Amino acid sequence: MHIHYSPTAKYSLGYKGEYWRDGEYSIQAVQMNNLLKRWNNPDSQANLYIKSGIGVAYSDKGAFDHETDLAAFTGVATDWENRRFFISYENRYTDAGKIDDFFMQSARVGVAPYIGEYGDLHTWLMVQVDHKPEARDHVTITPMVRLFKDVHLAEFGMNNKGEVLFNYVIRY
Amino acid sequence: MRKLLLTIGFTVLFAPSAFAGEIVKVNVNGMVCDFCARAIEKVFTKQDAVESVNVDLSAKQITATMKDAQTLDDETITKLVTDSGYAVVSIERSEGKDE
Repeated sequence: MHIHYSPTAKYSLGYKGEYWRDGEYSIQAVQMNNLLKRWNNPDSQANLYIKSGIGVAYSDKGAFDHETDLAAFTGVATDWENRRFFISYENRYTDAGKIDDFFMQSARVGVAPYIGEYGDLHTWLMVQVDHKPEARDHVTITPMVRLFKDVHLAEFGMNNKGEVLFNYVIRY
Repeated sequence: MRKLLLTIGFTVLFAPSAFAGEIVKVNVNGMVCDFCARAIEKVFTKQDAVESVNVDLSAKQITATMKDAQTLDDETITKLVTDSGYAVVSIERSEGKDE
């Protein structure tokens, strides 16, 4: 879960809560996203962000059962889109003290089968590739559908391991 | 004298305002995503002077209709658009309601 507030487009501050099934631990963190550079072109937009967080990791697995430690993560994210195509890449290094540390990266490409106007239901067909070198299945591929209308955005997908992806974003 | 006062009164009451329903069209770069452009609608709607806002992704244009006798200066409009994450190309103004 990620809840954040953006006073301007330059940065956002919020709460990030996540659970890592592989290591059976959770991270609760304060996350800050900073827009390093934005390219506003007539028919496209590109962005470069740095996303960082600091918080607490809590494990309920094996030797680390009921273990708590400081956690921090940082990474860069970049994307480019026009009204037909979308491409993005992001990475992140996470250090959860003695509980875990890992690197991961992901890339996504998307295409809109039709060009919607403002207020229409917008549909995107996307594929996301996740790479986590230390995971058992270190590469996963997730085809998905992204739908958005007004202030609501939802993504549905299933990866090559049969795991379901669902993301929902609401903009207040 | 009474007739003169009535004439002045009616003139003041029904005189057209200099900025009655002014329409401001802002041409913008980078506005390619409906979901992201919601920020534009929100910040313009929050302005007391603004009656309504329309976003046109194809025309790359924001149209703000002002309340009678009210307006936003170019500096304010540029700040609203820039803070929302877009780049202002030009600002055009015209009088009257957008029919």
